[in-house]
Amino acid sequence: MNFELTEEQNLIRDMVREFAETEVAPTARIRDEEERFDRALMFDRLAELGLTGIVFPEEYGGAGADYISYAIAVEELSRVCASTGVTLSAHLSLCANPIYLFGNEEQKQQFLAPLARGEKMGAFGLTEPSAGTDAGGTRTTAVKDGDSYILNGTKIFITNAGEAETYVVFARTDKAAQKHHGISAFIVEKNTPGFTFGKKEQKMGIRSSPTMELVFDNCRIPASQLLGEEGMGFKVAMKTLDGGRIGIASQALGIAQGAMEAAVNYAKERKQFDTPIARFQGIQFQLADMATQIEAARLLVYSAAYKASHGISYSQASAMAKLMASETAMRVTTQAVQVLGGYGYTREFPVERMMRDAKITEIYEGTSEVQRLVIGTALTK
Amino acid sequence: MKMLLVAEYRDGKLLGSINELLGFAAGMAAEVAVFLVGKDDTLPKFAGRLYLAEVEKHLEYNPDGHKALLLQAVEKEEPDLIVFSHSSYGWDLAPRLAFALGASQISEVVAVEGGGFIVPACNAKLRRQVKSLTKGTVLTLQVGAFPAADNSDTPPTVVPIDTDAAPLVRFQGYEAAAEGGVDLTKAGVIVSAGRGIGKPENVAIIAALAAALGGEYGASRPVVDAQWVEHNRQVGTTGQSVTPKLYVACGISGAIQHLAGMKKSEFIVAVNTDRDAPIGEIADVLVVADLKQFIPALTEKIRSL
Amino acid sequence: MKILVCMKQVPDMESKFKLSPGALWYDTADLAWRMNEYDEYAVEQAVRLKEQVGSGDITVLSIGPDRIKETMKKALAMGCDRGVQVADDAAMAKDPLAIAGIIAEYARSRDFSCIFTGMQSQDRGSGQVGPLLAEMLGLPCVTTIVDFAYNAGEYLVKRELEGGVRAIVKVKGPAVFTCQLGLNTPRYPTLPNIMKAKKKELLTVPVAELQKLAGQQETTRIFFPEKKGGGLVLEGEIGALADQLIAILKDKTSVLA
Repeated sequence: MNFELTEEQNLIRDMVREFAETEVAPTARIRDEEERFDRALMFDRLAELGLTGIVFPEEYGGAGADYISYAIAVEELSRVCASTGVTLSAHLSLCANPIYLFGNEEQKQQFLAPLARGEKMGAFGLTEPSAGTDAGGTRTTAVKDGDSYILNGTKIFITNAGEAETYVVFARTDKAAQKHHGISAFIVEKNTPGFTFGKKEQKMGIRSSPTMELVFDNCRIPASQLLGEEGMGFKVAMKTLDGGRIGIASQALGIAQGAMEAAVNYAKERKQFDTPIARFQGIQFQLADMATQIEAARLLVYSAAYKASHGISYSQASAMAKLMASETAMRVTTQAVQVLGGYGYTREFPVERMMRDAKITEIYEGTSEVQRLVIGTALTK
Repeated sequence: MKMLLVAEYRDGKLLGSINELLGFAAGMAAEVAVFLVGKDDTLPKFAGRLYLAEVEKHLEYNPDGHKALLLQAVEKEEPDLIVFSHSSYGWDLAPRLAFALGASQISEVVAVEGGGFIVPACNAKLRRQVKSLTKGTVLTLQVGAFPAADNSDTPPTVVPIDTDAAPLVRFQGYEAAAEGGVDLTKAGVIVSAGRGIGKPENVAIIAALAAALGGEYGASRPVVDAQWVEHNRQVGTTGQSVTPKLYVACGISGAIQHLAGMKKSEFIVAVNTDRDAPIGEIADVLVVADLKQFIPALTEKIRSL
Repeated sequence: MKILVCMKQVPDMESKFKLSPGALWYDTADLAWRMNEYDEYAVEQAVRLKEQVGSGDITVLSIGPDRIKETMKKALAMGCDRGVQVADDAAMAKDPLAIAGIIAEYARSRDFSCIFTGMQSQDRGSGQVGPLLAEMLGLPCVTTIVDFAYNAGEYLVKRELEGGVRAIVKVKGPAVFTCQLGLNTPRYPTLPNIMKAKKKELLTVPVAELQKLAGQQETTRIFFPEKKGGGLVLEGEIGALADQLIAILKDKTSVLA
């Protein structure tokens, strides 16, 4: 057992941190305020740095690094801007990864490689008004018609929607089959006739990350864009979300780390009664709890990432990591706002943004309740 | 003690830095000679020998030629210390001379203490005392660390020197400093305007003081938000973090957002009508005055120095 | 084209330094280490030069204990081809002459066309190693460069002088250049290049093989500068206040020099 990061992992952390602090952090506040996604910064620059395909082999345009490196990258980005963190996580874990796991060689060359190189951006369409965590409730349909499938239906709350070029979308191919069995996964490209975007969500947090509806109206795609086999969609979705949880857990971890650092810096500077408030035990205890919880979450996240890289089953580990990290993020950011007091409540300091951003990590890619369900079911089966 | 001081000449003028070297020598009661690649129309004023080489022939930047000339002066004077300013000229030439002499060189000296020289380390966070182990020693002095000598009326005795050493590099001339986009993070002096300036017209008062001090002007958040000053001059959490040698905060109360961006400045002067303004806690000097009267008066006096 | 970059690992300057009076230097425990900022520009310029001429081989050399290897990996990930660690646990006690002597000994027989290093280190800051190295090798040297162009064996560089003025200098290679901040924009080591750096050669040479020169100066004390006292409060008539402040600025700062 070895808790030390490798030289590569340390170099990756240094690089992403420097990039995040120099280029991403300066505009994080204003992008949040304006609800503006900056593709050149939040995606194209990540591609130039080789982050968009971190975990994939070089033959598919990736960098051939491990999942811990990926977790570190999302963590460091989210430490200054959670919107940038989720952009990478949704692209890599939710779109590129299922194509890597389930795609045939042609699909990997055609779709995965441009995603990994960051020439194209990816998104994932699972959630519907009547289906989210319950993928079996999917109502979007795909009907085979010669060499094509015709898609109809609506997906909601889709991260990276509108901006992304490549979408992994789930639709029901067999209406007669039992809930889970009739679902299939498809690769759909932007600008396919019949595929449009609905309303843009106005969100509480991660406001610099676009969230939109996907609308399919007799959208015809080649049958070659079926991902895996017909009826395998539920498995594709579940495997994808196992990986996605590592991304979101890393995002939550980064948010918490950023908020704690802001609180520590403030506490060392802010004086009350002629004493920096960091000297007060009440503040120190809060900071100590934050640091301890964050470190515990970090170990769970890296351990799930380690398993993912080493072919060890990790769906329970990633559920634990996500549950722990997202609840830690919510608690730490709330405390950080409290430490900063009135200043923390203003938008001049980043902690209120971090608090708003943290909330979504308890919700998307499986709510905390669902993570408990995943863990609890595995324990008691 | 004998010292050979190295004067500098740039763009047709003798630089004032020689006066600090003379002040340093006077502080140590040393016998001095001066070396200059320059012209006889602007000579340093001191009582002693001036080794003068013609700048037309030897150019303003020609380290190998200047080194050869300096070696001649050193041979004649046999000084204990050869002293440069820690300037673009000094730090370039001093090590070359030291190597040729087999002497040690101590860089950026800020004080002399206990038979050693005090130099800064780690961004001036630490100090080292350094002792030379060689007979002669080459020093570069931090600019401003030693008080300038009063000008002597006595003209020096000029000793002409010359060499035919071929330059290894070819100096082509100068390029003027770029105008335009301001970068506060590189400014040596920043004078900042806060809400206390009252109205946009008063930015000019602040800018004038900054110009007189050879620096840039900045502003706190409220002044930028009011669009009295452009955003790239904002100091603080949502603007620039700066570390100039001198930061003058005018009419700035000292909100924590502002302090975070400037508290690492080397020397901080605050001008405020409020004696208890929080900026006073981190300022080295708090001038309790109305900036609209005080700053123009100060600017005037600095200009006439 | 064979290029040498001399690089130093330094502590993050934001660190809270503790003194190590025995070592006459800062305490090296619990510090975050990084590449000397000036040397990042040197690495970048070396990689750009190689890219410009289309072929070349860049060696990055650094002197110090094993921990410097991680920083050297960054230089490799930025594009240097090989690393040479001169293994020396006592590097931090060596003066500029001894350090330059070690590098010169390594470089002497290796025919480098161009040598880059930072204009100074962030911790010692003596700024001597570049010019000393050039003198030892008998090469021309231009310090504090902020602009660099290469054409057919000749370099056209600009030196930064006081007040933002630049001196334009031509020099024929081989030559030594010391790099000032702002010379270029150092690249980030990209993910694929970090992975590739793993496979690049990183040689270790014991310092005893290269050290021929003894130092010529010694540190006799290390200490913190005096803390600022409580701020001085000046009140009174405007003219007198201005005179008082000017006197203080002359005494305590260099800005009125």
